[in-house]
Amino acid sequence: MNEVPAKNILIVEDDDIMLKVVERILKREGYGVEIARDGKEALQKVQDNKYALIITDLMMPYANGFEIISKVNGNAEKRTPVIILSSLGNEDSIMEGFKMGADDFLRKPVMVGELVIRVKRLIDQNK
Amino acid sequence: MQETFLERVQDFYEKLVFTYGTTLLITYAFLAALSLAAIIHFLRRNKNIDYTSMLDSPIVPGISVVAPAFNEGVTIIANVRSLLTLNYPLFEIVIINDGSTDDTLEKMIREFELVPVDFAYNIKLVSQPVRKFYKSTNEAYAKLLVIDKVNGKSKADAVNAGINACAFDYFLCTDVDCILESTTLLKLIKPVMDEEKHRVIATGATLRMANSCDIDQGVITRVRPPKQWLPRFQEMEYLRAYVLGKMGWSWINCVPNVSGGLGLFDKEIAIKAGGYDHQSFGEDMELMTRMCRYCYTNDIKYAIRYIPITLCWTEGPSTIKIFMRQRTRWSRGLAQLMFAHIKMLFNPRYGRMGMVVFPYNFFFELLAPIVEFFGVVYYITLICMNMINWQFAILLLVFVYAYSVMITTLAILWDQITFRYYKSWREVASLCLMPFFEMFIYHPMIMIFALRGYYYFITGKKHGWGSMTRKGFGGNNAGAAVAAAKP
Amino acid sequence: MVLADYFFAPFFRRYFYYFDSYPIVIQIAILLTTIAVLATFSAYAVILYRRYAGNRHEKKLARINPDLDNYITENIILNEQLATGEPVNQIVLPMGIFEKSLYRRRWVQQATIDRIIHYRKNFGGEIGGLLKKLYIDLELDKVSFKRLKSVKWDKKVKALKELTAMDMSIADVNILPLTNSKNRELRSEARHAYIKLSKNEPFKFFDIVTEPLLMWDQLELFKIITTTKDISIPNFARWVTYSSNKSVVAFCLKLIVHYNQQQAIPAIEKLLDSKDHYLRENAINALGKLKAEDTENKLVSIYSNQPLTCQLEILKALGRMGTGNHLEFLRHEFLRSADFDVRKNAAKSIINHKADSASLLKELLDTATAENALILKHCMNPLIKY
Repeated sequence: MNEVPAKNILIVEDDDIMLKVVERILKREGYGVEIARDGKEALQKVQDNKYALIITDLMMPYANGFEIISKVNGNAEKRTPVIILSSLGNEDSIMEGFKMGADDFLRKPVMVGELVIRVKRLIDQNK
Repeated sequence: MQETFLERVQDFYEKLVFTYGTTLLITYAFLAALSLAAIIHFLRRNKNIDYTSMLDSPIVPGISVVAPAFNEGVTIIANVRSLLTLNYPLFEIVIINDGSTDDTLEKMIREFELVPVDFAYNIKLVSQPVRKFYKSTNEAYAKLLVIDKVNGKSKADAVNAGINACAFDYFLCTDVDCILESTTLLKLIKPVMDEEKHRVIATGATLRMANSCDIDQGVITRVRPPKQWLPRFQEMEYLRAYVLGKMGWSWINCVPNVSGGLGLFDKEIAIKAGGYDHQSFGEDMELMTRMCRYCYTNDIKYAIRYIPITLCWTEGPSTIKIFMRQRTRWSRGLAQLMFAHIKMLFNPRYGRMGMVVFPYNFFFELLAPIVEFFGVVYYITLICMNMINWQFAILLLVFVYAYSVMITTLAILWDQITFRYYKSWREVASLCLMPFFEMFIYHPMIMIFALRGYYYFITGKKHGWGSMTRKGFGGNNAGAAVAAAKP
Repeated sequence: MVLADYFFAPFFRRYFYYFDSYPIVIQIAILLTTIAVLATFSAYAVILYRRYAGNRHEKKLARINPDLDNYITENIILNEQLATGEPVNQIVLPMGIFEKSLYRRRWVQQATIDRIIHYRKNFGGEIGGLLKKLYIDLELDKVSFKRLKSVKWDKKVKALKELTAMDMSIADVNILPLTNSKNRELRSEARHAYIKLSKNEPFKFFDIVTEPLLMWDQLELFKIITTTKDISIPNFARWVTYSSNKSVVAFCLKLIVHYNQQQAIPAIEKLLDSKDHYLRENAINALGKLKAEDTENKLVSIYSNQPLTCQLEILKALGRMGTGNHLEFLRHEFLRSADFDVRKNAAKSIINHKADSASLLKELLDTATAENALILKHCMNPLIKY
């Protein structure tokens, strides 16, 4: 497992625009950012690296967000905080997300300020 | 005296076949026009629809995806995984392991962390007994339910068990080896939610061949027409059957069948109609017919809708042997169905079903191979007896040929209007080439296999099942029209 | 056909020496053959042209979209002034790429509108406000308003979609006629827009609509009502009581549940006397979700006269309220009913009572028949959701 700087964030999202914009925003805040465009890429990345935080969509090709969360926090000693960022907004999916161990659930449309604050809080908590 | 009687018979036969051929050609022209209207209407509406608005809605109907698997060990994991990534807010995946003899079940248990559960199973439709139910201990796979049952030797039997166990009001029937587009559920439920005066009891969409597409872990990454000739003929035939045939029928609410490879059904009606019949060789069309019948007898104003976009890719048979088996089975199913429900034929009690769908299927699907066969025999007899007017015969043959090429080419055009499938024009051209050979290669094959199916139907030969999707709307009807060529 | 013959016959006469002497069937066949060949070639031409035009359009879009993305990211999402808390309407957006003449072309304007809307779907709050400012600064609203005047219904729908997505207000005179359009899609879209954008009486058309609200309309309306910020939410009980439109009543019940309008409970309770069991079913469902405990006794008392769908809803409602007052009733239904779904729902509702029903549950498990025990285990298993 590669040691990556502690402030690295993985963004998993299949909408290209969303992906790039969130990447830019977080980079501006001084975080290291890696991206994955689908479930397959994401599963590969979480297997090879350790991240300070993962931001993931729920519906993507190859593997959905729940699977990624379960892979990340399934058998790790120290869990990685996860924010779900999704347009799926019914109560069931939100509940499911939290049950799976997500730390936060943000619905689209996203408020950028809110996103930044939540990212910061989760990363600071986990230091 | 003898002479004139024979001549009269001959005259009568020729007039009959002529009427038959003309009606068929006119019907195709009508279908082409209707389907174009339906497609244009669909596209104009679809352009402004934001399907993602369904994703965060708490008031969408739930859908159960029912997919039987029999000895699919090689691809089962990727395909189930791909079903789990469908975009929809409220759904479950019900996989029925139909007594596989390979490691299909074991693989699923391992990969999806399944454990047996006590499942209260209400048997509304008959099927072989269920051994066990499995759910995942991992929340990520909470949508998955696996049913392990005794093999019932038919897809119908497996799907029935799935319907008994599924939770939602609508179910999507598919095969584990079919690859679905991720927006399938959103797009198929839309016509149900959007119908004014009817209750939509089933919806379907176009199927295509997966044979030469690039597939990566159960996801299509590049669409191509099949490179081999036999599947490519089938792709051509499917486009014609769905984009031109079923879209046309859908426009006047006369869809005869929703394919077993991909169809969304109203569960209540399907159960009340009795579910799939495991003895049927065309179980999808058979159920559809009973569902319609049920609606007529119970005064439910129903609709069956098709959409022109392709949502499902399936592997078409690439060897003649398997292809023959599939088509023999289909035509046997058709014969079975027609004889079981013959009372509906021209029965005004069954509305459009009795007056349009059934007559069409009876005359132009069921009888077509027979009419053609006799047409060819008749033709050969005339040639032998040197009673043929070659000039007229060839002119008529050319006409039928040109007409059939046109209809198929229009189907390809309608499909291209719907969406620019395929990456290059060369790929489209390779498909446009096929109608030119259809009359000599593909069509005679289908005709012979159909007759074989009828023969088995009459003699009642036992026949194993191949899990292939079926459609209505056979090929064109060259032989029949040619038979009218004698002056 | 006669007309076609008029045009084609001379042609055939020239090339088919015997054309006139052919029987009529053959003449028609020759004619149709020609038409078929022409149609086939036209089809090829259309396929080629559409592919060419489509690909070209895509390539052009692929050229400008990155520029648009760059602009929006730099100037809107990462806007410095926005970060310092400057109010949206005081921020001055640089014109940047939009000064190029290319950006005055129709298709580029359309691409810009589509792009802005896409961003607005993904980003809310002040960024959404700034995106709207860009839309207005570039005078793209004029493009949308102009389209609203188009004669084609699908263009009008598109215009309405754009304007509602951008939260532009549309004058009542422009939108009200559309709410009565003969075209259903346009009519519903106009109503959605009216609810979202009208300042005075957004829910007016609930009073007048006589046709059923389709499931799809309900979905869109629900989304609009629940996501539009400054809409004032009325007491939906009004329509539950007075509307004669079944679908409006059913839809209002869903809204009442969503907004947890407890004050609507008496109105809903009156629906229980309705003759229509679709309405009763929905009313019972709503009462359960509102946890209207006062209506519990009434639900139990009407139970035996109800059709199955309503009975199931009553059982579910008792589980949702979970007061424990009617555990004996649930137990009775679970043990006595011959219907599988009744037993299953009774079991679920008993289990929903959590601690209150623990002893009852134990008793039932110990004494139940094999099938009933299976139902109980099914409902108790956390892995099985439905």
